[in-house]
Amino acid sequence: MTPLQLFLQQLANGLTIGAIYALIALGYTMVYGVIQLINFAHGEVFMVGAYLALSVLLLLGISQPLTGPVLIGLLLLCAAAAMAGCGLLGWGMERLAYRPLRQAQRLTALITAIGMSFFLQNAVMLLYGATDRRFPALIPALRWDVAGVTITWLQLAIWAGSAVLMVGVQALVMRTTLGRAMRATAQDPQACRLLGIPVDRVIAVTFVIGSALAAVGGMLFGLYYNTVNFHDGYLTGLKAFTAAVLGGIGNIPGAMLGGLVLGVLEGLGAGYLSAQWKNVFAFVVLVGLLLFKPTGLLGERVADRA
Amino acid sequence: MTRQARLVLGLLVGLAGGCGKPAQPVVKIGFVAPLTGDQAPHGEDMLNGARLAVDHAIARGDVIPGQRLELVALDDQRSPTQAVAAAKKLAADPDVVAVVGHLNSSCTMPASAIYHQARMLQITPVSSNPQISRQGFDTFYRTCATDDLQGPAAARFVAQELGAARVFIIDDMTTYGRGLANEFEQALRGLQGTVLGHEGITQGDKDFTPLLTKVKAMRPDAVYFAGMFPEGALLIKQRADVGLGGRFMGGDGLFDPVLIELATPQASEGVYLTTIGSDVHRMPTAEAFVKAYEARFGPLGAYSAYAYEATSLAIWAIRQAGKKDRAAVLAAMKALTDYPGLFGLQNFDERGDSRIRDIGLFTVQGGAFVFVKSIGE
Repeated sequence: MTPLQLFLQQLANGLTIGAIYALIALGYTMVYGVIQLINFAHGEVFMVGAYLALSVLLLLGISQPLTGPVLIGLLLLCAAAAMAGCGLLGWGMERLAYRPLRQAQRLTALITAIGMSFFLQNAVMLLYGATDRRFPALIPALRWDVAGVTITWLQLAIWAGSAVLMVGVQALVMRTTLGRAMRATAQDPQACRLLGIPVDRVIAVTFVIGSALAAVGGMLFGLYYNTVNFHDGYLTGLKAFTAAVLGGIGNIPGAMLGGLVLGVLEGLGAGYLSAQWKNVFAFVVLVGLLLFKPTGLLGERVADRA
Repeated sequence: MTRQARLVLGLLVGLAGGCGKPAQPVVKIGFVAPLTGDQAPHGEDMLNGARLAVDHAIARGDVIPGQRLELVALDDQRSPTQAVAAAKKLAADPDVVAVVGHLNSSCTMPASAIYHQARMLQITPVSSNPQISRQGFDTFYRTCATDDLQGPAAARFVAQELGAARVFIIDDMTTYGRGLANEFEQALRGLQGTVLGHEGITQGDKDFTPLLTKVKAMRPDAVYFAGMFPEGALLIKQRADVGLGGRFMGGDGLFDPVLIELATPQASEGVYLTTIGSDVHRMPTAEAFVKAYEARFGPLGAYSAYAYEATSLAIWAIRQAGKKDRAAVLAAMKALTDYPGLFGLQNFDERGDSRIRDIGLFTVQGGAFVFVKSIGE
């Protein structure tokens, strides 16, 4: 392996986990965009997504790799189930835990989010057990050698899946009426209400979309690492939150960029410096960046709302 | 009296009032291991062993005449903070006269100071870091071999029998993992082996591909991992994913069937690991125990026998003491000689370490652990 091949391989490793971070980061950033809430339970939604996909596989009794249309159909089915379940969860969370507190202090909602996170973690622990669960490897362990760099099908699937979703979200926000309503709500909910935009519904839909994206992230995470645990949402959620801040919280392309950058930084940090400093490295870069560019990579300075 | 104390007293009076007739006095043995979290399978195996020991003892008649024997199982979630909290809880309960636990050396280490202060007998079934017994606590006993044997035994096997000259070492930065990895590294250097690198990973982390990719570029003959099975499984799986060749060897923390399940049988085929004692299934002295255990709980766990042994020893000491008194139980334990245990006649050295110190070697074959041989000194 030449140094260049090694570098490209590390880049590929980093981009894979980065793509998953990016999917989760989108939920953080979209919700923050519309109601300025850091939904700390979002990491748990991601974890629930992984468990929902696992449940589908367990129900169907599938534990071996598949190929062809069956594989694609099954992946879509798992994704659909996880997205639907998590979308519902996101909707319920907003309706029950956050909407009643819309007029309360921001800190109240933040504490509620942390409570929600504990609740979801423990609920999953009670439902599925406290131990690591094996997530079946669905995608055959095939690999490509591109100029000495090994790329697995699974990595391709993760890149393709997350790219499609990211482009989809960007198109939804920029080109549809719903997207326009979301952007308007982000700017000024009061004025939106006066103009007849159903702000509550827009916020609920934002939660649903963010949660559905996290669900896919969870499924891909399960497929990639083949284990899921009820506290997986904590660290991964924190990383995704970091990615959202890195890219500029509230900014959708920023969340995607932040996720990829964080994944690559971690990969290169662990690969070239030291694996035991992996997490430290990522957060040091975050702190360093925020010192010089407090709005994140793509964030813009906006006046605080009164 | 503080307000809290009054509240506690009030609760106690309330509880006692609610009971009606006076309950039979109890004597308790504490048990602490991770019962939730990723290492829960190990903890559960240990708890089953402890339960069986208690039931066997009860079947043999009252341990202390007129007192009911009870096992108090607490969960330390493999976290040193939780371990200390559990230890304090047990130390504060006057009915608890001995403790069996913990699993992780990083938990046993801080907890042992609390048991020592409480003058309470502690027997750890499997915490193998040698430093724990070098603290000079006379309350501490251990029923397994230590890592200053396990590490060098693994190093000898890797260097001499696998013929691996260039080795990369990974540990999980815990008291156990780092300690074992250092013992291994020192012994390997003594055998003229080349250590390509020694790096730590974080428990609970999932992505080790950057590290393994780096290791792959160094073309090692073998990778040695000192840590527990959840991370071990991911390392073994991702090692296959990145196409890292050579041998993979680990310590007793990997010895759980869940390792093979999580890592897949294909990726874990040919993985070697050492255990802190010989194969229980081959001990004639453990035959009855294995039969009773498997009839009740299914396949024997890696640490079940040690937990059974430690619990039986604690019960033996309580029986000898004949009263619910921590000092008397400790004194009885100190006087122990030639206790007929699962692994033969148990005796302990002046540090409290078992004199039965064998190291077993296992490999993964066709999706199951297979005993290879004994590689102790």
